[in-house]
Amino acid sequence: MSSNFEACPECDALLNPALPIPGEKAHCPRCGYLLQRPRQQSIERTLALSITGLILIIPANLLPMISIKIFGSSLDGNLWSGVSALLKEDMWAIAMLVLLSSVLLPIVNLGLAFLISLHLFIKKPSSHLTHWMRWLQHLNEWAMLEVYGLGIIVAWVKLSSLADLRFGLGLYAFIALLIVNAMLTIELDGYLFWQRIRQLSKKQNG
Amino acid sequence: MKRITKKLTSALDQGFTRCHDCGYLIKAVTQSSCPACFSTLHPRMPNSVQRTTALILSALCLYVPANIFPIMTVTQLGFAEPHTIMGGIMALIESDMIPIAMLVLIASILVPLLKLLGLTLLLLCVHYRWQVNARLFTRIYRIICFVGRWSMLDIFMISILVALVDMGGIAQIIAGSAATAFAAVVVLTMFAAKTFDPRLIWDHQTQS
Repeated sequence: MSSNFEACPECDALLNPALPIPGEKAHCPRCGYLLQRPRQQSIERTLALSITGLILIIPANLLPMISIKIFGSSLDGNLWSGVSALLKEDMWAIAMLVLLSSVLLPIVNLGLAFLISLHLFIKKPSSHLTHWMRWLQHLNEWAMLEVYGLGIIVAWVKLSSLADLRFGLGLYAFIALLIVNAMLTIELDGYLFWQRIRQLSKKQNG
Repeated sequence: MKRITKKLTSALDQGFTRCHDCGYLIKAVTQSSCPACFSTLHPRMPNSVQRTTALILSALCLYVPANIFPIMTVTQLGFAEPHTIMGGIMALIESDMIPIAMLVLIASILVPLLKLLGLTLLLLCVHYRWQVNARLFTRIYRIICFVGRWSMLDIFMISILVALVDMGGIAQIIAGSAATAFAAVVVLTMFAAKTFDPRLIWDHQTQS
């Protein structure tokens, strides 16, 4: 049933598999899609970065990110306060969207990346691996930490003329989390991960 | 990468199906599930054109209220002032913050509009079997997929402003009804881009 060929996901060109070495990129010759971008020690680095991310996401969520002072009264804001303020105004649809894309899905994605890379690292087969990998691929674009980061900058500029703003520790944790997240996206080699998952499930089934 | 033949053929023409989730290539076009990851197999995404059209039309309907109604109401010293998306950009320009104004203009007005137009172009191309530069059209699709999420910028900015500026009548920012419509536009266009199958552009090209 299987074949030695592969197909481009965006133009369906039938191709011979490329065997790029780490640092090289394989593009589809017909449409230019990035087929493979192998990294050195992709599994180990993904594991390390996902653990770092899971640690950083705690202070990024709990510590105040920005504190504001208007006419003598001050207020602290973190990732959750936007959600709760929107809920208070009965804007529950946006509140849910913000909650999902800035808090829940980043946690879920880091958790999934951790679970998958851990199983691949210790070479322990699991029937959940394919599901986890599929969820990670589908949910990836809905976690929008970097867009939230840009939102903080714009909000900051808008408010800076009206009020006195201070950075909180949570903001530093958030920036560190952004960097770790971006590195994780680069280091996670989906092609290799699927290959290893297939090998593991073959081993499991004898 | 070596080419198999001088002219590249599509996997479907040769009787192969690529699993959309794990990339496994199966020598069959009628099999229902992937032997490697057990997800459902389709040679092409089912009803891709119809679904994308439906999502684009819904997004287009919501794009109007998103731009007409106030996206937030700013109260300063008892004086309430509703802002539309464009009004917010104008306010940024007036206070000499041109780069940030450009950023918001691109993310919340141009990107959704260009996404809707771009996807419509791709749909027309597939429906009328236009002979086009398919490589260019695939690149348009890729750009549409990439920029989609950045439109959430305005929604995140509002959630931050609403949380931070909450001092009763002295200074308060409240999200407006356009915010929900705008968020729906962003989500619907992201789904529209996801349901569109770029392989359809290539299927009817006589030369690749």
